[in-house]
Amino acid sequence: MIPIRDNIKGGALTETTFLVLLALYRPNHGYGIMQFVERETNRRVILGAGTLYGAINALLKKRWIRLIAEEKDTNKKTYLITDIGKRIAIGEQDRIEALRNLAGKIMGADPK
Amino acid sequence: MTKTVFRFFFDFVDRQEKWLNRMAAKGYRLKSCGAFWYTFERCLPDKYAYAVAFVADKSQAEAKAYREYLEYLGFRVWTKNINLNFSIGKIRWRPFAKGWGQLATSPGTYNQELFIAEKKNDGQPFVLHSDLRDLILSVRTIRNAYRWAVICMLGLLAATFLPCIRTASVSSVWAHAGRAAIGIAGIAFALPAAKYSTIIGRMEEESQTFE
Repeated sequence: MIPIRDNIKGGALTETTFLVLLALYRPNHGYGIMQFVERETNRRVILGAGTLYGAINALLKKRWIRLIAEEKDTNKKTYLITDIGKRIAIGEQDRIEALRNLAGKIMGADPK
Repeated sequence: MTKTVFRFFFDFVDRQEKWLNRMAAKGYRLKSCGAFWYTFERCLPDKYAYAVAFVADKSQAEAKAYREYLEYLGFRVWTKNINLNFSIGKIRWRPFAKGWGQLATSPGTYNQELFIAEKKNDGQPFVLHSDLRDLILSVRTIRNAYRWAVICMLGLLAATFLPCIRTASVSSVWAHAGRAAIGIAGIAFALPAAKYSTIIGRMEEESQTFE
């Protein structure tokens, strides 16, 4: 039997997934999500249009986000995180926090 | 003033994208494109940037939805062929695609295997796939399409020997010429397949440590 690692079980989200979930705590659309990620990460992460498209579709399929509005003439679609999505995001926050605590314990408060 | 350039790319994503960006750097903006030609209009050098997306693995509905999404983001989008076969009423099986994308029809998704997207240059490289895993998936689909073409060429090459085996005769000059043409096409497909396999290998190694 192939052992299932923690991240495959759903323990670790990709950075793209987590950032998209965070961007959708308020109603947001594709371009808005890209701007949110660029702004909030100080341009460290710039989402490619194709990557964002794949992420949105995957999250819709998992019902972590939902479509709340659609403008037919401009194809602008607005999404919002669901309760399931919020639970997943909280889990990811806890995981990062635990990792950060572990790093702090080993590396000390001042890693330099 | 417009300029028409006749060109066909066997390496239809990477080389085509680089060429379009080189044209844009020289001040040529894509106006339209056909089966093996491109029409450009003059613009300021580096005013636009281009990205080529392989969409042959998508069904017609998925490709339409993706195009609408790219256009909503403000990109201009053209469809482009990867074949030089223009028969109407064609149905082709694409084993490298997913779901209904496996059936390409003409008219339909056949000869619309690529999207060329254009954005105004904002100083950032025009990348459609920014996530390493997503990039691996996208490049793998392109590589599999080339692999499938190589397999088809090998099958075709093998088939040219059937008449000789059946009649126990020596091949004609025409048969040799046909085999040479198939061989050249096979190599033309195998080179990008090998290139994309190397890229995938490097990215998979990288994905062991980075996202």
